[in-house]
Amino acid sequence: MTHFKFLRASLPILASRNRLKLLLSGGAVAGLFLLLLLQGCAKAPCSLTGLPASRPGMAPSFLGGDGLARCGVPLPPVGTEEIWVVARGDRSETDISDKTPGSGALMAKIEHKEVPMPLKHTDVHASVSGYLGSVEVIQQFHNPYSSKIEAVYVFPLPHNAAVNEFIMTIGDRRIRGIIRERAEAEQIYQEAKRQGYVAALLTEERPNIFTQSVANIEPGKEIDVTIKYFQTLDYVDGWYEFVFPMVVGPRFNPPGSTNGIGAVARGQRGVSRQNREVEYLRPDERSPHDISLKLEVEAGVPIEQSECRTHQVISEAVSPSRMAVSLNPVDNLPNKDFVFRYRVAGDRIKSALVTHRDERGGFFSLMLYPPQEMKELRRQPLELVFVLDCSGSMFGRPLEQAKAAIERGLGLLQPGDSFQLITFSITASQLGAAPLEATPENVQRGLRYLRGVRSEGGTMMIEGIKAALDFPHDPRRLRFVCFLTDGYIGNEIEILGAIHQRLGASRIFSFGIGSSVNRYLLDHMAKEGRGAVAYLGLKENAAPIMEAFFQRISHPAMTEVAVDWGGWHVTEVFPRELPDLFVGRPVILTGRFAGGQDTTIRVNGNAAGRPLQVLIPATLRDARATHSALPGVWARMKIADLSQQLVHAPDPGLPEAIKKVALDYSLMSAFTAFVAVDSSRQTEGAKGTTVPVAVPVPEGVNYDTTVEEK
Amino acid sequence: MRTASRIASLVILALVFFGQAAGLRAQQPADEEGRSRFRTIDIFVDSRSTPLAAYQIKFAATNGVVKIVGIEGGESEAFRQPPVYDPKAMQQDRLIIASFSTASASALPKGKTRVATIHILVSGKTEPQFELKLQTAGDSRGRKISAQATFEERKTP
Repeated sequence: MTHFKFLRASLPILASRNRLKLLLSGGAVAGLFLLLLLQGCAKAPCSLTGLPASRPGMAPSFLGGDGLARCGVPLPPVGTEEIWVVARGDRSETDISDKTPGSGALMAKIEHKEVPMPLKHTDVHASVSGYLGSVEVIQQFHNPYSSKIEAVYVFPLPHNAAVNEFIMTIGDRRIRGIIRERAEAEQIYQEAKRQGYVAALLTEERPNIFTQSVANIEPGKEIDVTIKYFQTLDYVDGWYEFVFPMVVGPRFNPPGSTNGIGAVARGQRGVSRQNREVEYLRPDERSPHDISLKLEVEAGVPIEQSECRTHQVISEAVSPSRMAVSLNPVDNLPNKDFVFRYRVAGDRIKSALVTHRDERGGFFSLMLYPPQEMKELRRQPLELVFVLDCSGSMFGRPLEQAKAAIERGLGLLQPGDSFQLITFSITASQLGAAPLEATPENVQRGLRYLRGVRSEGGTMMIEGIKAALDFPHDPRRLRFVCFLTDGYIGNEIEILGAIHQRLGASRIFSFGIGSSVNRYLLDHMAKEGRGAVAYLGLKENAAPIMEAFFQRISHPAMTEVAVDWGGWHVTEVFPRELPDLFVGRPVILTGRFAGGQDTTIRVNGNAAGRPLQVLIPATLRDARATHSALPGVWARMKIADLSQQLVHAPDPGLPEAIKKVALDYSLMSAFTAFVAVDSSRQTEGAKGTTVPVAVPVPEGVNYDTTVEEK
Repeated sequence: MRTASRIASLVILALVFFGQAAGLRAQQPADEEGRSRFRTIDIFVDSRSTPLAAYQIKFAATNGVVKIVGIEGGESEAFRQPPVYDPKAMQQDRLIIASFSTASASALPKGKTRVATIHILVSGKTEPQFELKLQTAGDSRGRKISAQATFEERKTP
């Protein structure tokens, strides 16, 4: 085995299926530690789109003869300009009688309602080791038109993704993007776009929403963009969960706001008056964009059970602890979250510590499981407040699922408990002026109220927050507030700030309902509310999610949690405030450490007035095994912590602090962006037009009640 | 009288000509100052007869306003992947890049080979000067080798 060691360190440490550490002998020069990506980038053959119908009022002009069937087709106007392009295609079927207003007389194969899009395919390769995941996403852009375009694609990633690599591929040339301050990256991109150079820009709109822009894609050309990120997996009630989101759900933005995420119909840019918009395909339209996904899991211990309820998958057990999973090609429409879960042998589950050390120092991640004794303790009476989102986006199956979950919850209340039902859309309303005792009569009353709830209107979640948290706390009971929502709002910061201000003694449990939930909001509502989060898909049985919740709260949480790090000098541990520990819900702590000796970590806390302690041996015997994702994961958690501080108490120094961490660790953030320019060649032709990538509404979401049209 | 009018015409013509020229001269620096241009710099390593398996290079502009906007891999299959960069150096728009290949010696490049291409954005009037230093290079057995690094600005079409 060849070894090199490069000196002077601090190059980004990259995840790869093929990682190598090289050691160069005779290192008088400084050393640089390298991990290099070796995999190539698969390219699908270009498929040209079908021929469009004509613009209303304009005769179609089929020219042919050069392999291109042509027709004048308007792309969405750019500002005041209207730029005409010619759709390329190897098919000539059109339906020029299609005059549907707003269908744009469409660059579409009308008979299939397939709309050409500059995004052709997304290819996902993920690998999981323990509870750390490394994911590579390849977005394959192309230009199916006859003039230059800029493609703009708003897409989701997990909110805890530490995005640290960005590569633009043109043919067999691969250009690594540079992380820069966001404004600077945007300026570079705009300049490259203006001068006709091929360029790509990745910006963050929300921790879980990103925008990919690719400028000057010439007709018939393809450009791939590869994004890589690390993440920690959630552990939920005995299951590890890998989630890959595929589409941004349509968000509601409060009246007057402009910094939300607008949801508009394809071709109707600007209708929402938001800074960033997602264009959605109409129900009768289909984009050729599809997705493939491969996942490799190395659990470290035998995998007892696995499941994917969201998609059809092909699974293979490579060994007792290792699985290979791929998305079945028949299920390749990117319109819902991919959720794969696996359970490892129960008696092996215990708090786990992984470490990594390099020239920057030591990094660790600790998955802290609640002590087993907590299961022996019984709970106090509850004051349970169900808060149901009945806005337009919950129309249909999502609302049915939420109602079913609440119905089960009401059935699980015990004598001595009390409850309240609150619904909100544009305004909030509730079952009674005060919580009701959980008598059989009151529960029946609650069920009748629940059955009468209908969904319509916008999502003024702040009204639900106020109604749920702004009434006096009953000191005899533990108050749990259960939010059931898809989280499709654009004012997340306002909501999280309101929870922080109003929480008091309440605990918030958020339930994400739907196929493509705003997990950033749901997770952070639970985090701010010192509770936990759970997700209910549209095809799942609603009752178990509420039963698991009641099981969890039927034992008191471990509170006042404090950690003694033994012989280690530990700094910058995130989350900064340790949350309460609930049965079945471990928490992940990530921090930095110094010290080269084995030690014992002691976690102390109280549950129902009884002191509890967890002992975790911290051994460095695996010090040679690098967990190279850890510095990036730690830096991402630090950015999340700083961003959370920004929500609570805006401090002008915080953006600078976030920027510094992001630049030092080559990470995406709200204040940094990746940019890549190919300066070797200026493209020909006039300024390209901007083509947003329109996406389907998530599975189970009603288009008519969520997407704005003129 | 005719002569006087001729002289007057010449003066007017001269004024117009020089006035325009002066205007152009006055205008040009402003255009130059605001102009940003993209450049492409190819980085070569010459390892002579030894197959090149690894390198680390430092590259920076000694004057002018230069921003690095992309890093591309080299011509040989062994160095086709774009090299990784030191993010801290990048914050000062200095570039420290490194790459390696584990291919067998027979698959590694010898002689002068383009190992990377740097895409930059130059702002302002000053034409930048660059400096390049090969910090280290190695062969397929991990031994440091003698090599030389050079750069060339690519002529863009």
